[in-house]
Amino acid sequence: MTTSDTTEARTAGRAGEAAGTEPGSPRPRPVPVPDETSAPYWAAAARHELVIARCARCRMFTHPPDLTCPHCGSTDPGFTFEPVSGRGVVRSWTVVHQSFLPGFEVPFVLVDVELAEQPELRLIGRLLDGPGAGPRLGDPVTVAFEDVAADVAVPAFRLAVAA
Amino acid sequence: MSGRMRSSNQVAIVGFAHSQVQRHAPRSLGALAVETGRRAVEDAGLRTADIDGFVTAALFPTSGAHAVEDGTSIVSAQWMAAHLGGADARYTANFDGVGALTGAVALAVNAVASGAADHVLMHRALHNPRGGRYHDNPMRTAPGPLQWTAPQGFFGPLQMIALTYQEYAQRYGATRESLAQVLVEARRNGSRIPWSYWYGRPLSAEEYLAAPFICDPICRYDCDIPVDGVATFVLTSAERAADLPHRPVYVAGYAGGLPPRRRVQAHWPLDDLQEAGGLLVRRLWERSGLAGPAEVDLPQVYDGFSPFVYLWLEALGYCQPGEAHRFVAAGGIDSGRPDALPALTSGGALGNGRMHGVPQMVECYLQLSGRAGDRQRGTPTTAVACHSSPHYGGAVAYTNTPF
Repeated sequence: MTTSDTTEARTAGRAGEAAGTEPGSPRPRPVPVPDETSAPYWAAAARHELVIARCARCRMFTHPPDLTCPHCGSTDPGFTFEPVSGRGVVRSWTVVHQSFLPGFEVPFVLVDVELAEQPELRLIGRLLDGPGAGPRLGDPVTVAFEDVAADVAVPAFRLAVAA
Repeated sequence: MSGRMRSSNQVAIVGFAHSQVQRHAPRSLGALAVETGRRAVEDAGLRTADIDGFVTAALFPTSGAHAVEDGTSIVSAQWMAAHLGGADARYTANFDGVGALTGAVALAVNAVASGAADHVLMHRALHNPRGGRYHDNPMRTAPGPLQWTAPQGFFGPLQMIALTYQEYAQRYGATRESLAQVLVEARRNGSRIPWSYWYGRPLSAEEYLAAPFICDPICRYDCDIPVDGVATFVLTSAERAADLPHRPVYVAGYAGGLPPRRRVQAHWPLDDLQEAGGLLVRRLWERSGLAGPAEVDLPQVYDGFSPFVYLWLEALGYCQPGEAHRFVAAGGIDSGRPDALPALTSGGALGNGRMHGVPQMVECYLQLSGRAGDRQRGTPTTAVACHSSPHYGGAVAYTNTPF
């Protein structure tokens, strides 16, 4: 059984349960379906660790991993997921008042974060400080995780406390 | 290869037709497309037997969980060829990309210039399915590219453009009052177009400012409304065009954009759009033979989401990066002013409905062929139609006076 099959089976097994549901939301949030490439990313997330794909040839990070390395062009990039600091800065944000997906209580804030490890290495996640957090561009954030189902956690962010 | 396209001004639009734009048409999209196609052929002074090429961009631009069915929710070139009646379809092609109309025009030009087809019918058919909201998706699992976005609630084009525009607004100090002027201009012009969904219905700045956010800083008026509608054009060689009833409008050149970096799906950071837009427009001048923005009488910017207006004004070189919002706020695209830039005289997608770049192309054709009726703006000789985002879309340059 492949990783993908396992996840599908787990997901199917949860049908009808409240997994991934926020208070007040009648239906579960979509859960990620890990595949051959992404399985290490989701396994790490479940342990509340942020890992990002890194090219074995040029050592540049890419998110999400591609079939070739977008930096050095290698057709055999041998991507491995390596831990990153989880620190970054807000490049943009939006307060979502209407979700087109099930399972999300509105309003909530999404942040577009540039990770500290590399320019333009960007990750989008929910900001868990509440809808009134009102981030500004350049605000420092640090990764956090939302446990959305058994063995499934999704990377998110919190505003970092000023040093 | 660089320099001007060999096909520059060798292929022309010679006829056109537009269906009514409605929330839900009383007939199927396919029936609407066939009827509109036959009207365009007649408008061009031709018979369907003369049509030997069919091109389109059949993209169904929704993130909703809607079925894609040829003839119902999309209309492919092959479907049109099979249903128009009497045609000899020697060439059919569908452009597969977000920058729908630039790609379809390119296919038509290339087909005629190469001799693959003599008379090409190009169409764009847009559908708004009944039942459920346009972009809603009930997915429970997020496989493939969606695994990087949907689990955290990042999904659909409104969040996409909200992130792009928030970065613009914060970086350059753009206000909601400026964006209101984009909507006022689009809806005023759209309200004068008989087939527009918004015909007779302008929008005031006060109405715009009173609308709540869907994805802050984007409200519903910033988004084109999903519709059923079809536009069709006939293109042929400049030589054959000379014998046809309407003044030909020649394609001077075209250029398409490409995203400069790998991103998660629907992540459109401002820098990507600005970088790609600059490159695309440099290519447009080079390939079309136009020297630059000062040579364009009618630059029709894309506006499927209102912030695109700023990005295209800047990409085309009418404003420095970050300055278009001030230009618009100062009346820079107010077509009621004689000195303003006629950038949204088509009414755009915001003033016509979600026709995905069609209004811009229609306006270029109507104004350059002198067929805009009581909306005719003097005697322009050059125009540019922008389509979609600068980093996925493109732009097409037109003229009625080959140079």
